[in-house]
Amino acid sequence: MSLHNRIAVFRAERGISRRQLAEAVGVNHQTIGYLERGDYKPSLELALKIARHFGVTIEMLFSLERFEPIAMTLKRTGDDT
Amino acid sequence: MKTGRKSFLAMLDDSVRWTGMPARVAQQLSGDPDRRHQPLRWRPIGPIMYACVLFVIALVWPPLLGEIDPGALIGVLVAFWGALFAMVPGIHANGPLGNSALEDDERQAALRKESILFCVGFLAVLNVLGQPLLMIVSHWQDWSMARAASVVTTALMLNIALWICLPTLYASWTLRQLPKE
Repeated sequence: MSLHNRIAVFRAERGISRRQLAEAVGVNHQTIGYLERGDYKPSLELALKIARHFGVTIEMLFSLERFEPIAMTLKRTGDDT
Repeated sequence: MKTGRKSFLAMLDDSVRWTGMPARVAQQLSGDPDRRHQPLRWRPIGPIMYACVLFVIALVWPPLLGEIDPGALIGVLVAFWGALFAMVPGIHANGPLGNSALEDDERQAALRKESILFCVGFLAVLNVLGQPLLMIVSHWQDWSMARAASVVTTALMLNIALWICLPTLYASWTLRQLPKE
């Protein structure tokens, strides 16, 4: 089963590099690259550390289902309000 | 006025650059440990092929062994061992598993474990199947002591080459190159 994540999106939104995120969570910066590309599934500890670093819940970063596009999320949020 | 022809020293500089060594030295001195441990997808195949070829020669070409003087045979085997040990050290050190295991993060530790397990499994299957087969063939063909010794020696070389190079080869083919950020 594949594990989807939005690390790259959050990283781009915060304007931090792979290396900065890697240093913050204590891994090699290549590991962040492999995580973003879905080549590596993180341990629960690493997933929690990354979520804590971005200040979001783990479900916002990782999902077993494919994430919907951000445009769709924004549109849905706009429809709700 | 420029003639367009390079001087001898410039040609020597070009030939040094052509070897790739200056770029390699710059990479080694760059201070970035990740750049020193790049996937090596082809280099580990060299020692494995070399050991395979020696093993096959020892196995299927016994008339050659009969013609070589025992003293010379020992010299040849020492030279083969020397050639093998000259090839293998840089492969592990420069490959993706070359850094110290103490510096591994969880992905690198998992990759190291997976690569070594693959190598151990491969060697176990190879030896469990190969050793009884060699014993049967040696008994069946009534091998001389020189032939048996050369086959055993080259089989040991093959095992060592696989033990050193196979984890690097496995890890190198498992890793896909990351695009530059």
